[in-house]
Amino acid sequence: MGFLTPWFLTGLLAVGLPVYIHLLRRHTTTPRPVSSLMFFERGTQSSTRHRRLRYLLLFALRALVMLLLVIAFANPFLRRSSSVSDRLMLVVVDNSFSMRDGTRLADAKREALKILGARKPSQRAQVMTLGGDLQVLTQPIQDSAALRAAVESIQPSDSHGNFGELGRGMRALTETVHAPVELHLFSDMQASNMPVNFADMVMPGNVSLVLHPVAKASVPNWTVESVEAPGQLVDPKRARVLAVITGHQTPAATRTVSLIINGTVASTRKAEVLPDGRATVTFDSLDVPYGASRCEIRIDSADEFPADDASSFAVKRADPERILFVHQATDSRSPLYFGAALTAAAQASFVLQPINAAQAADVDPAKYAFVVLSDVASIPSILENSLMRDVHNGGNVLIATGTSEAHHQRIPVFGESVTDAHFYSRTGGFSTIGQMDTSHPAMKDAAGWADAKFFYAAVVDAGHSRVAARLADGTPLLLDKQIGQGHVLLLASGLDNVTNDLPLHPVFVSFVDHTSRYLSGMERLSGTRVVDSFVQLRSATNEVLDNSQGAAVEIVGPDGRRPLILQEEATAQSFRLTHAGFYQIRFASGQEALIAVNPDRRESALDLIPDDVLRSWSGSAAATQTSVVSTAEARKTPYNLWWWFMLLLLIAAIAESGVASRYLSTQREEV
Amino acid sequence: MQRFLDPAVLAGISGLDLIAKTVVDGFVAGLHRSPDFGFSQEFAEYRAYTPGDDLRHVDWNLFARTERCYLKRYRGETNSQLTILLDASNSMNYSSHAVSKMDYARYTASSLFYLALHNQRDPAGLIVFDDEVRNYIRPSTRQGQLNRLLSGLEQAEPRARTDFSKPLLHFQEFLRRRGMVLIISDFYEAPETIVRTIEPLRFHGSEVVLFHVLDPKEIRPELRGPAILVDLESDQRLEVIPEYVKGEYCRKMDSHLQQLSERAHAAGLDYHLLVTDKPLDAALSEYLFLRQGGR
Repeated sequence: MGFLTPWFLTGLLAVGLPVYIHLLRRHTTTPRPVSSLMFFERGTQSSTRHRRLRYLLLFALRALVMLLLVIAFANPFLRRSSSVSDRLMLVVVDNSFSMRDGTRLADAKREALKILGARKPSQRAQVMTLGGDLQVLTQPIQDSAALRAAVESIQPSDSHGNFGELGRGMRALTETVHAPVELHLFSDMQASNMPVNFADMVMPGNVSLVLHPVAKASVPNWTVESVEAPGQLVDPKRARVLAVITGHQTPAATRTVSLIINGTVASTRKAEVLPDGRATVTFDSLDVPYGASRCEIRIDSADEFPADDASSFAVKRADPERILFVHQATDSRSPLYFGAALTAAAQASFVLQPINAAQAADVDPAKYAFVVLSDVASIPSILENSLMRDVHNGGNVLIATGTSEAHHQRIPVFGESVTDAHFYSRTGGFSTIGQMDTSHPAMKDAAGWADAKFFYAAVVDAGHSRVAARLADGTPLLLDKQIGQGHVLLLASGLDNVTNDLPLHPVFVSFVDHTSRYLSGMERLSGTRVVDSFVQLRSATNEVLDNSQGAAVEIVGPDGRRPLILQEEATAQSFRLTHAGFYQIRFASGQEALIAVNPDRRESALDLIPDDVLRSWSGSAAATQTSVVSTAEARKTPYNLWWWFMLLLLIAAIAESGVASRYLSTQREEV
Repeated sequence: MQRFLDPAVLAGISGLDLIAKTVVDGFVAGLHRSPDFGFSQEFAEYRAYTPGDDLRHVDWNLFARTERCYLKRYRGETNSQLTILLDASNSMNYSSHAVSKMDYARYTASSLFYLALHNQRDPAGLIVFDDEVRNYIRPSTRQGQLNRLLSGLEQAEPRARTDFSKPLLHFQEFLRRRGMVLIISDFYEAPETIVRTIEPLRFHGSEVVLFHVLDPKEIRPELRGPAILVDLESDQRLEVIPEYVKGEYCRKMDSHLQQLSERAHAAGLDYHLLVTDKPLDAALSEYLFLRQGGR
């Protein structure tokens, strides 16, 4: 027992007050008149003794009140062992992709069942899994059968484990569960599961972490780290597939790499992989039939972890899509540069169709992959209306604001106004790129942008647009605005070599290529994704036209089932790709996509967390599987006794009042 | 009407005359007789005239008819003088409730005076004493006698201590005529001393009544703890304990009352214990009983 504020114990001197009142102070009795003492006799000694005995109870109560008051203010607490039944046993089984290796998951489940079987029946327990996030399988319950069933039902996932997610989950849990938590983690303790910041995986104070590593040592593992293939192609002979084969903790070896198209091995290569190194394999052609094809790069399985020996990708073969390039009649540079860049792009699958603005009145934008408006001050209203409708339905537009738009306020389709124009050349200089958002699909290739010189830029209010690039003076250069289901990309400069020298730089080809893929929807409708990534199904904005509002999307998972119910298909804005394999998605706009989903390749690195880090994490040098249970049982938690002493004080005060009241009333009668 | 005899009710009435009238009217009404009924007017007997008799009492009508000289005698004429001896010592000031012993004695005395003078036409007098005679009002039926008596009662504030022997010597000088002598006191003295001192008053042929006024808490005191007691007369202090009061004191008090009663009766004195929380009718009944020659 201890005191949080022991200085209040000096108040014990106040106990001397009732001692003085009852034992030291001379009692005075008010004389009581009588007619005559004729029949009375003296009885002094007896009366004094009786009086002391009589007030002894009152004295004891008063001293007790002072004592309890002082102790209550001193805030006493008791260190007591937390009862086992009070503690919550939390069983967390790691079911990330790496747990598919060998018998890791089975071992983890067996260990978990053993721990659950050893607990006291009165102790509550809860079962969770740790994959991409922390999933709750049971509530805190005492039902052993339900807990066992929950553990046995755990299946391996394709997600990337993250111990930081475990730490965040525990911090959230302890905000609602105040009882001590005994966390048992059954995992392979993969090093790649550690977050960047170690503090993210630190447990709260009332959580005792008990680690149960199921992997004893690092395992050599070859894997297909990455595959670079076009999502859409026109000419199979021009398409190339680059595959990177990586070995983790592996010796030098020759691996056979196969390209499998729709289940058939199309080509095979040999790759010399250095010890713990990488090798790149190139397939010069990708002979896929028209339509979407399911492709796969697979290496010969020579390790204990065959699940990561293949990497899937989807390829769509189609005729070249057309891009409508609207320009001024006097402008011949911009279609020239843009068309040349489009042709030079490695995975080019577009055909540019230039047209004068005046002739574009009766053009249907829906027939084109996307539309480019290059330095057009005004377009026919019919075209603008049809463009607006197309954008709302999911179409996309690239707008380049040349000098002709400097004197016009409103930009067609984009909706914003040109508030100013910077003619850097008039001051004898130029501007360069200041900031870049490389996460934007059009700006993936950041190299080379710094060399581009911009002599003119229109100043456009960014508003709700996403700014992908800014000039050095802060002027927004590339803006992305979502309108309905579509996007409008605005380049605040021209596509010719007059307003800037960007078309003269190699980065222009990359920019045009990425922009074309992005605006044509190729990025969204094909290619590869990582497990637990999201696919946007709908726009979050309410600017949706009637023909797409409420239309259902259709998703077919790798197992051939539809993971969303009908209501979710009609309303969900995004979808999480939780399993590896091919997803078929039919969007509300009618576009179809085939998306290949692969596990995070960090799961293929089977390196283990060093023991000293594990000990540091569990917070005890003895935090091993065998000794931590007893350590957790021996932990003592402070138990505050303040309320108990206040309760006793209340009882003593009431008793003192009653006794004192009886004595005082007696004295009044005697007087 | 009984409530008018309750001392607690009388304590709320100011003025002894009003108290006396209230008590007596209430008491007489309780007897179911007219308050104007006069005992002194009642014919008692004829007695043959003997030389020396007062000629005013001769029944001349009878003499005219029979030529015999008889005296007409009335009841009460022989035994009607009322003298009250009131103890005004400090011990009479004790009270455990609204009415002190002195108040109770005043109420009793005033009621008796009213009854005697107003109803009976008896001469009434008052002697107030403590350790000596403090006030003496000669018995009379004169106009204003009642007011003089009540005034004497009101002026009789308790003080000093009781001593029967000294004032009783003077009483015998005052009480030469036969009548009723009522002594109102708490009689804190040895019974033999009291009786021995008072007994001579009876030698003149007077009816002597001892009205022993005590507070109920004097008979059965309650003491819940040790206490220091102060004698009202002597200021002497004494520390006593409840056990003694509950046991020995009660036995002594009972013995004192019994001895006083027995010795008084043995000496031909009438004795009545008046407790201050009891109605006043006991004293009035005793007076009327003696007035009618009940003894």
